[in-house]
Amino acid sequence: MTTLLVAKQYIKLFYSKFEIYITPFLKFLLALVVLLQINSRLGYMAAIEKITVVLVVALMCSFMPSNFTVIMAALFVLLHLYSFSLECTIVIGAAFFLMFLLYFRFSPGDTAVVVLTPICFLLKIPYVIPISMGLIGTPASAVSVACGVIAYYMIHFVCANTTVLSGMAEEEMAARFKFIVDGLLDNKEMVVTIAAFAVTLILVYLIRRLSIDYAWTIAMAAGAFVNVMVILIGDLMFDTNVSIFGVIVGTVISFLITGILQFFVFHVDYSRTEKVQFEDDEYYYYVKAVPKVTLARPEKKIKQIAGQKRNKTTH
Amino acid sequence: MLNEERVILMTKLASYEANDGKRNVAIGSYFRSDYIGWQVLKSIISATIAFVVVFAMYIFYDFEFFMMDIYKMDLLEFGTSVLKTYLWVAGAYAVLSYFVYSWRYARAHKSLRLYYMNLRKLSGMYSNNHTV
Repeated sequence: MTTLLVAKQYIKLFYSKFEIYITPFLKFLLALVVLLQINSRLGYMAAIEKITVVLVVALMCSFMPSNFTVIMAALFVLLHLYSFSLECTIVIGAAFFLMFLLYFRFSPGDTAVVVLTPICFLLKIPYVIPISMGLIGTPASAVSVACGVIAYYMIHFVCANTTVLSGMAEEEMAARFKFIVDGLLDNKEMVVTIAAFAVTLILVYLIRRLSIDYAWTIAMAAGAFVNVMVILIGDLMFDTNVSIFGVIVGTVISFLITGILQFFVFHVDYSRTEKVQFEDDEYYYYVKAVPKVTLARPEKKIKQIAGQKRNKTTH
Repeated sequence: MLNEERVILMTKLASYEANDGKRNVAIGSYFRSDYIGWQVLKSIISATIAFVVVFAMYIFYDFEFFMMDIYKMDLLEFGTSVLKTYLWVAGAYAVLSYFVYSWRYARAHKSLRLYYMNLRKLSGMYSNNHTV
């Protein structure tokens, strides 16, 4: 445990020193993964599939606000869909537009979750998101998570029905439109997932705020349990054909990952070095404020004192 | 000569201005009613655009039936029901916006009160320095 605590302090020290490089690099990495995943899943427009285009856009995302990554991801999805089917572009574009218009006016800070949720779905660990957001967010984050779930299921629907949509004749525009809207609105698995994530997130949030010992750990365990229960009840009620084994294993893995995140990320105050400038009547001040880091080095315990050998020297 | 305590306070204030303070100072520059009113108005505009988009999708979804029935249906009644739905949607969204932005204004105001208190403290330090 001491080793882990020391490791945590080292990470904190490293972050406070190199924050100026770490944050853009993480943003670059996130944008790169998101855009590559979109290209590999949809990949209908060859022009934006080139690695150079992806790298340039990811590089732009690294020094822009995180909302820019979400906008770029949405743009990539719509461009791919435009090459595939106009109806898909209209329906999914309208859904994205409604999300931006109605919700992100209220909660611009949570937009990264919308990108992270589909990524976690692809990594088979979607349950990390509601538990994590319950720990660090507010109940309003449930709407951001729901938007992420909707985005994932919309893209998943298009991928799963590519053959059907391609098989429909060009003249059947209204039929294709109807097929896409019905497919998105009648997706019971999506509805059950949104409900499970919302309940989990709110429960985790409520428990972690209680003034009890191990509130965070209890919140995570309760959240994981409720998540499985809601999905199973949803499966029984709506016959969503969810793999029960997959849900349980996924939740256990998500619980463990969230535990690691809690130890190294959520519970640590990663204060960074700040550079500020100001002036008064006498001076210009260029201040670099470096956070104090106390590093708890492991104490060396003396278990045995070996008898000293006297060196007898003869003169 | 440099005053260490003053530099620390100024650094904290400058850091606040560069981060959270930027948004809070912008909110604090409005009167409460002006800020909330403006935000609610923007929400109503957003809700109107969203309603138009959803309505267009709804018409397009059943376009064939809609075009066939357009001569048979009571257009006045249809228009009234659409208008009623719109008023409900826009009204609910405006009420939600009112509560959210009232809370945000109160939070920003509370944060700014501490900021202004520290500014007064800084001003006091300069006054003391000059009188000494």
